[in-house]
Amino acid sequence: MLAYLLLLVPLPPLGGFLLLALDPYRLDRRPVLALSLAAGIAPLVLFLPLAIAYFTGAVGDMIAPAFTLNFGQYEVALAMQLDPLSAIGASTVTVVASCVMIYAADYMSGARVADLRRFFALMNLFQAGMLSMVLAADSIVFFLGWELMGLCSFFLISYNMTSPRAFAAGQKAFVMTRIADAALLAGLLLLFLEATSVRMDELIPAGLAAEESRAAIIAVLLLVGALGKSAQLPFQTWLPTAMAGPTPVSALLHSATMVAAGAVLLARFAPLIEATPGVAAATAIAGVATALFGALCAIAQTDVKRLLAYSSISQIGYMLLAVGMGAPGVAMAHFVIHAFFKSLLFMAAGVLSHAGGGSTAIEKLRGTAYVAPISFATYTVGAAALAGFPILSAGWWSKEAILGAAVEAGPFGQFLWLVALGGAALTGVYAYRPVLCALRKPLHDAPKGHESWLAVAPLIFLAIMSVLGGYLVEPIIHEMGGHAPHAGLGIEVMGALAAITGLIGSVAVTFIPSWNARIKRARRLRAGMQMDAIYYAFLVRPYRRIVRLLSGRDGRLGKHIGEGPEAQEGGMGDPVGTATVVFGLWLARVVTAPFMPDRFDTVIMRGAREAQRAGLWTRRLQSGRLRDYALGFALGLGVLVILGWGMTWG
Amino acid sequence: MTALNILLVLSAGLFLAGLFGVAARRTLLMQLISLEVMLAGPALGFIAAGAHHGSIEGSAMFILVLGLAAAEVALGLAIYLHMRRATGGDSDAATRLRG
Repeated sequence: MLAYLLLLVPLPPLGGFLLLALDPYRLDRRPVLALSLAAGIAPLVLFLPLAIAYFTGAVGDMIAPAFTLNFGQYEVALAMQLDPLSAIGASTVTVVASCVMIYAADYMSGARVADLRRFFALMNLFQAGMLSMVLAADSIVFFLGWELMGLCSFFLISYNMTSPRAFAAGQKAFVMTRIADAALLAGLLLLFLEATSVRMDELIPAGLAAEESRAAIIAVLLLVGALGKSAQLPFQTWLPTAMAGPTPVSALLHSATMVAAGAVLLARFAPLIEATPGVAAATAIAGVATALFGALCAIAQTDVKRLLAYSSISQIGYMLLAVGMGAPGVAMAHFVIHAFFKSLLFMAAGVLSHAGGGSTAIEKLRGTAYVAPISFATYTVGAAALAGFPILSAGWWSKEAILGAAVEAGPFGQFLWLVALGGAALTGVYAYRPVLCALRKPLHDAPKGHESWLAVAPLIFLAIMSVLGGYLVEPIIHEMGGHAPHAGLGIEVMGALAAITGLIGSVAVTFIPSWNARIKRARRLRAGMQMDAIYYAFLVRPYRRIVRLLSGRDGRLGKHIGEGPEAQEGGMGDPVGTATVVFGLWLARVVTAPFMPDRFDTVIMRGAREAQRAGLWTRRLQSGRLRDYALGFALGLGVLVILGWGMTWG
Repeated sequence: MTALNILLVLSAGLFLAGLFGVAARRTLLMQLISLEVMLAGPALGFIAAGAHHGSIEGSAMFILVLGLAAAEVALGLAIYLHMRRATGGDSDAATRLRG
């Protein structure tokens, strides 16, 4: 019976969304806030007792079936489950999402009521999507939640509808994740064909039992899905531009949901990844490469939100490294810790940038430490966790576990460990930059600002979690069935040294003018190695050219389908759909043209016309005049006489 | 040319003259008169043929034709009177079946 409580967990946010989005009545500011907050926090209230009972061992693994359908040998059984992964994931999501919702209630207070309502409706839907994905016991609910998040992220990133940049950013996020989602869907469907069931507990054994080549294909497809959602190389370009969304959106998107969903996916299907060593190695390499790449790009950023975006890319790279090293438990531990400190960093950065005059540029944060001291303090705690400040911060424990797992995985792992260690040092460099900048004396005295408790309370809570979360790392790893890596004192000291080096580097970069200027000049790195531009040149532009060729201005289809609004905007349409139409038109031309006009039909129609004309002509005989008829009689008689005469000739 | 042949040609001439009158004249009264001429042609033919063969049937047929002509004149004059009032005796004006 208790299991059915699981089904209720994603329902309050979903209900909140339905009410806010579809309720035809005007709601005032307060009801909107109250409704969305209640809907946002209800999952926490529902799930927390369950999670505590589960972690203390009072209840075991549970499955709550929601709907079952049988097609011959195939079974489609929708359900929610409580297992170590879903319990850890859902607790993190509910806690972080509640914090973000409370913060958002304050942060968004300046918005118009209609915008506010749209914003919170989507935030609630987003939460529902992530919760159903984390708790899903089958691939269908999992994918549904996954896609729901993709959709909501599009709407939330382009929340500011008057800004073309925000809209383009949303579009980019949507398209980039969609490419990866196609791979994920293919992977899940292949797994379904192997298992003839959609349940996770049957999918994974079936995937392990599958033939080697097929198992490899499935693993690769799942990996690509995770790379896209988590903005890993080569899909990372959508995440930095996604900063066009409001700060609470970033806080939710980057911490426990959306971006982290890829890590959850890989942790969920970790046995399949581990079963094919090549894919596991690819996961680790993609992770560590992204970690290094994200850290390098983050150093060059001048905008605090973009800096944090690259840090998310980088941190999730570490999670992938852990999964690739065969330690999904470690990845989940980092997922939890990262969710805490990353949402904290975003929200604190939001408060600080408000205090600094509304701009998110790091330069503009100067002196905000004195304007908003509480937020600054929490930001510092978050930055320390991000940089893995030794012993004191939670990030240190989870990152050490990842590095330890890499060292334990043999020579290949030790090479990756070295790269990851470099990434960790770079993380320190960029993590403290906004902190140090905020600490500098303000250029002109600003009055001490007022920090709303609604905004600061979640920050304080998350800051505490970012410190004490270190105690969670080992239990989480054990819960996930792994063992905490003990890599030896030397390795740990190396990690600590890397973190300290990072701090020193950060100080150097901030206070040595020539180094600071060098960062300002690193345009290429700031633009994420200009991969956006490369994608645009080599993928988007040729694609558009094909589209234009197929649907566009040269008039090949102008008559038939090019007259819609798309044509007026420059002839952009769907090339695949257009190709089928072009083919259909060609086929029609080739097959039916010889029969146009139809000869038989023409003959028949001519006969009909002639008959009509004959009728008209005959009608003239019937003049109604007596004399004509008399003449007719006489002629007829004459004919008869001649006939009779001729017949008597013998 | 025998007498019969002359009479038959005369009767045919009478018939054709009457036919011409019926077809050419528009006045209903003149058409009735022409009709009488038309009837006279075959009637003459019957009598001539009867006389030639020494048979009584020719004269009998003439009596029949005479009766037919009388009936025709009676009906025809009645119709003529009616139409004279309606259309002025022009047969071309009466092109419709009703009234």
